Amino acid sequence: MHLDVYGDTLTALVTAAALSSTGHQVTLRVPAGQVADELNADRMPYQEPGLELMLDQQQQSGRLCTGSAEDMPEDRVEGVFLALSPAAQPFAESLIDQLAARRGHSWLVVNQSNFPVGTTESLQLRLRDGADPGVDRAVICMPEMLQEGAALQSFMRPSSILVGCDSDWAEIHIREMLRPFNRLRDVMRLLRPREAEFTKLAINGMLATRLGFMNDMASLADALHVDIEQVRMGMGADPRIGEAYLYPGCGFGGMNFSRNVMSLADTLESSGVGSELLEQVLLINERQKEVLFRKLWQHYQTDLNGKTVTLWGAAFKPGTGRIDNAPALKLMEALWAQGVTVRVHDPKALPTLQALYGERADLVLCDDPYEAARGADALMLVTEWKDYWSPDYRRLHKLMAQPLLLDGRNILDPDFVRSSGFVYYGIGRQ
Amino acid sequence: MRSRTGVPADTVWQQLSEQAAALQDIHLAQMFADQPDRFAQLSRRAGPLLLDLSKQRLDVRTLDLLGRLADARDLRGWINRLFAGEPINHTEQRAAMHWALRVPPQQTSPVQQQVQEQLDRMTRMVERIHARQWRGVTGEVITDVVNIGVGGSDLGPMMVCRALDDAADDRAVRTHFVSSMDGSQVSHLLHQLRPHSTLFIISSKSFTTIDTLYNAGTARAWLQRALGDDPAVIGCHFIGVSSAVDKMEQWGIPRTNQLALWDWVGGRFSLWSSIGLPIALRIGMKGFRELLAGANQMDEHFRAAPWTENVPVLMALTGVWNTNILGIHAHAVLPYDGRLKYLPAFLSQLEMESNGKSVTRDGEPVPTGTCPVLWGEVGPNAQHAFYQLLHQGTEPVTCDFIAPARRYHEVRHDAAAAELIGQHHLALANCFAQSRLLAFGEAALPPGEQLPMYMRYHGNQSSSTLLVDQLDPFSLGALLAAFEHKVFAQAVIWQINPFDQWGVEMGKQIATETLELINGGATSSSMDSSTDGLISAVAAASAAKDL
Repeated sequence: MHLDVYGDTLTALVTAAALSSTGHQVTLRVPAGQVADELNADRMPYQEPGLELMLDQQQQSGRLCTGSAEDMPEDRVEGVFLALSPAAQPFAESLIDQLAARRGHSWLVVNQSNFPVGTTESLQLRLRDGADPGVDRAVICMPEMLQEGAALQSFMRPSSILVGCDSDWAEIHIREMLRPFNRLRDVMRLLRPREAEFTKLAINGMLATRLGFMNDMASLADALHVDIEQVRMGMGADPRIGEAYLYPGCGFGGMNFSRNVMSLADTLESSGVGSELLEQVLLINERQKEVLFRKLWQHYQTDLNGKTVTLWGAAFKPGTGRIDNAPALKLMEALWAQGVTVRVHDPKALPTLQALYGERADLVLCDDPYEAARGADALMLVTEWKDYWSPDYRRLHKLMAQPLLLDGRNILDPDFVRSSGFVYYGIGRQ
Repeated sequence: MRSRTGVPADTVWQQLSEQAAALQDIHLAQMFADQPDRFAQLSRRAGPLLLDLSKQRLDVRTLDLLGRLADARDLRGWINRLFAGEPINHTEQRAAMHWALRVPPQQTSPVQQQVQEQLDRMTRMVERIHARQWRGVTGEVITDVVNIGVGGSDLGPMMVCRALDDAADDRAVRTHFVSSMDGSQVSHLLHQLRPHSTLFIISSKSFTTIDTLYNAGTARAWLQRALGDDPAVIGCHFIGVSSAVDKMEQWGIPRTNQLALWDWVGGRFSLWSSIGLPIALRIGMKGFRELLAGANQMDEHFRAAPWTENVPVLMALTGVWNTNILGIHAHAVLPYDGRLKYLPAFLSQLEMESNGKSVTRDGEPVPTGTCPVLWGEVGPNAQHAFYQLLHQGTEPVTCDFIAPARRYHEVRHDAAAAELIGQHHLALANCFAQSRLLAFGEAALPPGEQLPMYMRYHGNQSSSTLLVDQLDPFSLGALLAAFEHKVFAQAVIWQINPFDQWGVEMGKQIATETLELINGGATSSSMDSSTDGLISAVAAASAAKDL
């Protein structure tokens, strides 16, 4: 089949690569932005095992090509995948309107984006608006369930495929598109579109709640002089709980956890529904983003004026240059408000930071992590890039004005850091 | 006494009394019947305010005569002295320059520079708090601000914050007010707040006000119990607003957290100064500057407009007419807008503390009555309380009805706007109906059979109506400045000093002696028998409780 994939998410790239690898003719249309720029410069925006190779192979085979996201699918296209970022909902709406305007054309649109619950149904209404009688059209929802680090694997050999679909015609077509990935046994689970969307929301909410809970426990551990890392491992050993998403830290960021996504769609909101628990989880997370600032503020007895602080990591997670809702942003703004000069190293996010804040005297961007630490009164480890797991403590000690290390991800060994001559603060551990 | 402008005051008083005698037997209903264009003749506009005097028991000739009284008392000269910064508060040798707080920033006299400097400091504090970057001692963001003050340091900011709720800045933090010396407000509040994220403003012009210092001491101890007694606790959790820099310093408030005001700002005229910090925290500096601009517009109107067009002067002269000529000694303030809940209390202070005097500037007893007893309540609620007395009691009472013409047009009322506009119209209808019934009595009712005596309305009760276009920072500024100038103009007519308050000093001193006796558990006779008796009763009650 001829399929178009719109989007700049990891899901978009994985979907395009996987579908073309099974023989579909795929056009990948990446909206303008950082991801598109990197792809154009022949760099991979996402570090996923096998992804780059597969994209190259499929392009060479001629089954995968790229096109502009401004352009509409050609007439022969039978399926349109939307793997857009949460902020691109208006883009999705205008795209659907343009598809709808081709009155005689039959469309199957597969929405993989993290939009609020109810969006797929409202997109379907738009798509069917004004269609000629007898023309099949549907927008279905297939929430992305990619496991980062094993994204291709999880798309091509899924343990389950959630599809939100209310049309027999659409079901036949999506089954055919995904047939190669659904062979051993049928793992496709069909729900109503809003149920599929809600399931995705509930998964995100559950993960966020686990993190929020662990951060809450970490604050208590701080006060009770308990090492949260020991507690975490003890909890994770219980099979009813499991090990995933139990890491306390200085807050999570990213678009998937944004308030916008966590809230139900406007159409549902009028019913007055809202989740008090998720509201609290997000609030706790916002507070947690400043936890390193509070530790620093107390360490220096509420006077930070004129100090220099180094941030290692600004991206909201390792492996990306994105800074959406990243804790580093809140930290920097808090530090600046107190008259602190911030020196930042990040393997990927520096251009985004530069674009966001422009030139300012109290922001120094450094390509080298040790250069960033020069003259610093504190080093804050904010994103757990692999580059930071085993620092050269002697070098750091020489470079820094004060040997103070705040580990926002609990990746260092407190005893070893201390024995290297540093004052150490972790999250829920000292 | 002969004034500079001709007719002696005594002559004018005499003419006014004759006028009153001529009007005495004419019911307000009759006046409206005789003069169909009374509203056109007796209403005036100034900026966003419309003042309707047509339901007062006077006519245009009265206003002319009252204008002559103003001339006879040299009101023009006094206004010039006020705005020249002369020390017209002669008992304290101070100027009264609250108007200087709202002069637009372009003017740069030394006083103006000081004013702008404090506004700039205030801006920096407000910005920091609104940006969620004012930190408590543990690094937590400040989410609640508590204003500790009393009198002018409490009523003004609290009244304005409440009045301008619809103009609140999106980034506003929660603001609370604590004033009562008995600790009931502060103890109630401290149960609800977290010390880590609470900031206190100690607002006291002299920084010696005992009510405020006790409340502040309780707050400080509450913080220190939770956060330790490091000096940084005070540095992070207190702002001081005072003219006594050294006293703020002694209390432990660092320079960076101090805002100044000057002895030329009276407490009840001080909401325009740094004392207005809670207002700025509520409506933002942009809103605060609009409030100042509205007041400044009224200042200019007061200085320039001829008496019979001058809204604050007409408010003053009408009051003089009612008090001194018609002999009415009670005045009710009745806002038909719940946001103006604290306006009656604010105006009670402004008018009664300013003009509750009985000695002239020359040290002689004032020959006439001065400020009437003034009280009030949100009108629709008062209708279910004391309006009975207004309609059928034996005491004559004059009323000020105050209402906004437009309401609920702000974006935030989007969804419920239709219902709320309906409620606003209901309140306006009640406002107009009540003033009509007070004025006309039974004549306002549909003609019908004779009512029994207990159901009758005699009417003929005077009132003014102040209609504000809408209650926003600018128009509230204009409204409050109008009342300030009304008070000043009346003081000029009565020849008293409105800017001192010696009557509230002595009680504080006696209380200090009494406190020693209560704390000492004294039982022996040392004061009058009443005080002694009450103190022993307290001692007995305390002892009983300890058992």
